[in-house]
Amino acid sequence: MTLQRSTWFFAILTGLIPVVFVFCLLTGSAGIPDLNTVTGHAILRMRLYRTLAALIVGSGLAGSGSVLQALLRNPLAEPYVLGISSGGALGAAIAILLGLGMVSIFAIPVAAFVGATLTLTLVYLLAGEQGIPSVHQLILSGVIVGAVVSSVLMFLISIAPTRGIHNIMWWMLGDLTVSSRPLLWAAAVLTGIGLLAIWYMAPSINAMTLGRDMAHHLGVRTGRTLLMGLAMATLMAAAAVSLAGIIGFVGLVVPHTVRRIIGPDHRRLIPGAALSGGLFLALCDTVARTIMAPRELPVGVMTALLGGPFFLAVLRRNRGQGFF
Amino acid sequence: MTAALELSQVTAGYHIGEPVLKNITLRLERGEMVGILGPNGAGKTTLFRLATGLMQPARGEVRIFGEACRKLMPKRRAQLIGVAPQSLDGLIPFSVQELVAMSRSVWRSHPWQPSHAGNDQRAVDRALALTDMSDLRHRPLDALSGGERQRAIVAMAITRESPLLLLDEATSHLDMNHRLEIMQIVERLNREKGITVLMISHDINLSADFCHRILLLDHGALVADGTPSAVLRSELLEAVYHCDIAVSRDPQRGVITVNPARRLPSLPPETGVRCHVIGGGGSAGELLRRLTLSDYRVSCGVLNSGDTDELTATALDIATTTEKPFSSVSAGSLAAARRMAADCRICIIAGTPFGPGNLANLVIAEDIQQRGGHVLIMQGIERRDYTPAKQATKRVQSLLDKGAQAWKHTAQLMQQLAFITVSQ
Repeated sequence: MTLQRSTWFFAILTGLIPVVFVFCLLTGSAGIPDLNTVTGHAILRMRLYRTLAALIVGSGLAGSGSVLQALLRNPLAEPYVLGISSGGALGAAIAILLGLGMVSIFAIPVAAFVGATLTLTLVYLLAGEQGIPSVHQLILSGVIVGAVVSSVLMFLISIAPTRGIHNIMWWMLGDLTVSSRPLLWAAAVLTGIGLLAIWYMAPSINAMTLGRDMAHHLGVRTGRTLLMGLAMATLMAAAAVSLAGIIGFVGLVVPHTVRRIIGPDHRRLIPGAALSGGLFLALCDTVARTIMAPRELPVGVMTALLGGPFFLAVLRRNRGQGFF
Repeated sequence: MTAALELSQVTAGYHIGEPVLKNITLRLERGEMVGILGPNGAGKTTLFRLATGLMQPARGEVRIFGEACRKLMPKRRAQLIGVAPQSLDGLIPFSVQELVAMSRSVWRSHPWQPSHAGNDQRAVDRALALTDMSDLRHRPLDALSGGERQRAIVAMAITRESPLLLLDEATSHLDMNHRLEIMQIVERLNREKGITVLMISHDINLSADFCHRILLLDHGALVADGTPSAVLRSELLEAVYHCDIAVSRDPQRGVITVNPARRLPSLPPETGVRCHVIGGGGSAGELLRRLTLSDYRVSCGVLNSGDTDELTATALDIATTTEKPFSSVSAGSLAAARRMAADCRICIIAGTPFGPGNLANLVIAEDIQQRGGHVLIMQGIERRDYTPAKQATKRVQSLLDKGAQAWKHTAQLMQQLAFITVSQ
């Protein structure tokens, strides 16, 4: 049953990618660009990068969410909710303020990765006195650490030179405008590495959802899987943050929905969530760009508006069982 | 031939200096079917965790088919050992079939090999059919009842056809029929395929019925190891489980049945036999609990307030005479205790140490003996006598000379008491 359903799912998804891609290129406050003009070319190029960024960021966040939910055995786990995105943003902001972006295109993502890793470690340590923290402890701890990290970020913004404030504010709300092309490629490479790594680990991740002891009985190297999986999830979140700032709930909405359609097997879930996540964010961004044209909404606002109620639904459901 | 599972001088625990298992040496030959029994906290689960490689011993070595467990590759270990843990928390709703296939996948050269490849699918189907789960194969784990879930766990364990099968309370949630079925499947795997089985169970009768060999653990030590009829003897079980146990044998089927015996029939309130307990320092806690459970009407004293026994007595609503903390028994409180014990015909002296401070308490026992009552004293008074010139020992000896009985452990005392109350 699931196999057939997933075949359909992937067929439809693959078919949708070019359609959505073209749709996103042709839609916007300026309408269909006129390719005979220089402006038209510029608009098309801008939309192209933006759509690419949406695909990269969306797939990375959805992949990251899938892995976090499985390894932390927490249906609410997601880079934004766990404060990983804020931690990454802080790391990236520090790198930007220190001018490290000039050193290497990977400097900002790496700084974001360091920030995100430290935040996840802190969240995990604060949540559980010993052993695996409960679903709600972890989320609570994530929200609080995230808030503190965000306020540190705000502090940095307030003392930073005024020139970049608008950009940074937008960045905190989630913005897919590509400011530097090399950064786009860097994020693409890191997200690609992360997705391939977690896809390769999918059978082990499946076993880990049954708890560490059971995974051990099934012959999984539990410590290594946990460490690598969390590192890759954090890496993808960091790449997403470096490129587009803090975009919440994609990592929650997409994996849950996809799991519902094609089942919980991560060998299918990870590619499914990655593809859907990219499409989802590209569409969200297109809507955010056009709904109040000529004004633009930050895409983070769109995902939060959709994701917030979804989060509550999962939370309520979690009182009974857990995952969809 | 190497043993299926071998523990040599293994000491293991969760905190440094507090070993749960102490110096255990154990050998499971190939093809054996062995049950581990023991009360809560005896170290059964720790032994299980050692055998499955979930924890490493602090000292000693665990070997699986001759290979050191510590050095075994995780995948190789999973191929050698099929494990059915007590429970499985299916947070993410994999279906039963997916789970069983996941367990079978330990034999694949690569985890990415498709799960529906011929041999594997047959093994999965077989395990599902054997555990009566075929109809439920597409159900997600979280939609199963406790018993169905447990059968799914067993299906996961047996689909691997590993040469060693470890079952941890694998049948505890099952109804009679499925419990028997699962055990018969395991027995058949043992008989036909020579799979070595090690099972932990609280169900003594089930273990007696199916296992060829029983290991009895208590306080982290192996106290008995042998055939069911050699291990399941009432005196041994009583000492380990601290309750009266009736062991009966069905000569026709050769089945051993073990039942905890109820000490006294339940009585209406305020009609139980009166007895007075002389304790202190936590020595009488277990005794007070047992006596209360068996409907004795208990009084206790003299105790220092704040003493562990006093706290237990208060919690159990036992009338107690108390003295100020860390003070000697005064004339006033002793008189109160003697009045309190005036209607008693039984006095029990717990394993409390005697010093000049509480020596006076023996007067209560002497009172009761003079009135023709019974006095029961925990043996070994000389080792806990801290009075000058061993006065306590002398007085206890004189009580014993006049017909008082000595007792060794609580289970035995309860039997002596039952005997006294019946003869009254």
